[in-house]
Amino acid sequence: MADIAQTAHSRVIARRSPWGALIRNEDWWAIWIGLGLIAIAVALFAGGSSIKWIAVAPQKWSHLSELRQQLKQHGLQYAALFVLWSVSFGIGAAALGIKISRFLPAFLLVYLAAGCIYFLGLWDQAAHYNLEPPLVALGLGLLVSNTLGVPRWLDPGLRVEFYIKTGIVLLGASLPLTLIAWAGPVAIVQAAIVSLATFAVIYFAAVRLGLDRRLAATLGTGGAVCGVSGAIAVGGAVGAKKEEVSVAISLVVVWAIVMIFVLPLVARALHLSTGVAGAWIGTSEFADAAGLAAAPPSGGYAGNVPGIAGNPDAAVAAFTLMKVIGRDMWIGVWAFVLSLIATTRWERTGIHSKSRAAEIWNRFPKFVLGFIVASAVVTLVARGFDYAAYKKEVVPALVAPLQSFRTWAFTFAFLSIGLTTRIREFASIGARPLVAFSIGVLVNVVLGFVLSTQVFNEFWSRLGQ
Amino acid sequence: MSPAASPCCLTCKYFKHAPAHLEAALPGLSSLSSAYAAVRGDDGICAVHQRYVTASSVCPAFA
Repeated sequence: MADIAQTAHSRVIARRSPWGALIRNEDWWAIWIGLGLIAIAVALFAGGSSIKWIAVAPQKWSHLSELRQQLKQHGLQYAALFVLWSVSFGIGAAALGIKISRFLPAFLLVYLAAGCIYFLGLWDQAAHYNLEPPLVALGLGLLVSNTLGVPRWLDPGLRVEFYIKTGIVLLGASLPLTLIAWAGPVAIVQAAIVSLATFAVIYFAAVRLGLDRRLAATLGTGGAVCGVSGAIAVGGAVGAKKEEVSVAISLVVVWAIVMIFVLPLVARALHLSTGVAGAWIGTSEFADAAGLAAAPPSGGYAGNVPGIAGNPDAAVAAFTLMKVIGRDMWIGVWAFVLSLIATTRWERTGIHSKSRAAEIWNRFPKFVLGFIVASAVVTLVARGFDYAAYKKEVVPALVAPLQSFRTWAFTFAFLSIGLTTRIREFASIGARPLVAFSIGVLVNVVLGFVLSTQVFNEFWSRLGQ
Repeated sequence: MSPAASPCCLTCKYFKHAPAHLEAALPGLSSLSSAYAAVRGDDGICAVHQRYVTASSVCPAFA
């Protein structure tokens, strides 16, 4: 008995150790991998070399013969890239408690499928057929998982958040710190307006429909702040029932996937510039991974669809600023405030929970720090170059290879979203939560649209230029 | 005694908070988030109350 108590106590201390989180937390591993790759890339660049050999990516092709030629010419590089990703993600997965012997075979299939999708996206007719890699990856994954089914041995390799967070850290290397400082405050203001309004609408609609306040808060945060992550953070903070958390997760996932396809199409139909479209998606999509699947197609319309202006990269930049800086960072505050209200104002559940301000940091999405550090590092490296030299030297040797790594990581994530979304496994949602959440979605989308295209239109358009 | 070492959910046998268990118990969690994420903190499922709670919570059913 004493041994059990001692083991439990040690486990508690280990779990609660601030240093233990650095190796047992997915956010921190995304930082180690993302910043590790950036550090190697910067070191090679400083030494007059480049990491670009291993950051291999498909090039435009027209005929299958060209595709074969690329594979023949760069086969060794693709194999080396697989080893690099396997080691990086494999070590991280092992530290998280996922057996590496189960992770690697699954990841091999994810890598091969992502490679095929990446190559398909570089076909010169891909844009004509709307074969955007994020949408193809997602659509293919959804089709397979909901018709043929996905074997369970693949599950360890389908780590959506691990891949997307690593990609976001790498994305920081493409955004100057000055841009984050310039656009960050506007993103925070716009996101705060929409988040507060959306939460209020969902919460009060749910309470009015007779739903429990804890479910109402979980639904509201899922719709207003950061999707499934918001739902689990607040669901735990307020002590929601297990099935209430399941309902919120199901609603967020279904609506987020619908929005991945709807938002880019509407942005295209309305000829929104890339920066404006990215800001809208950042305000109105529910999850990072979902938004990062929706934003690139909106950016890709620039130059391909008449009437759509802006830099193709601006959609992803605006989305990331809005979602990561404007919404994700504040989840700990939402969880703390709602737990305080739940413990002091709402009916008791039989479980006594404490509201601790320390939860704001505990729940802080740490990968955001990696994103900002990555931006600072590359901004510092590029400081000694004028614009022409930056384009000629820094971009091909440093920034472009890091963008290639990022695209790979995002493609792994998009494929994993589809393959892990098994609609038949979702909780039975019920009409009242569906109605309350859907009203919030409507308000969120309309308000986000008005703020992006009217109130802050000039700002986001400038970002796109 | 620190809060972490007191008889709270974290040391209770009814508290299930292993990430793999949570992802299996909450379908869709791994589609657009993760049980390994920082935002989850140490939250888990209480098998007695069937609630999703913080690890520092306490109740009379502790065992």
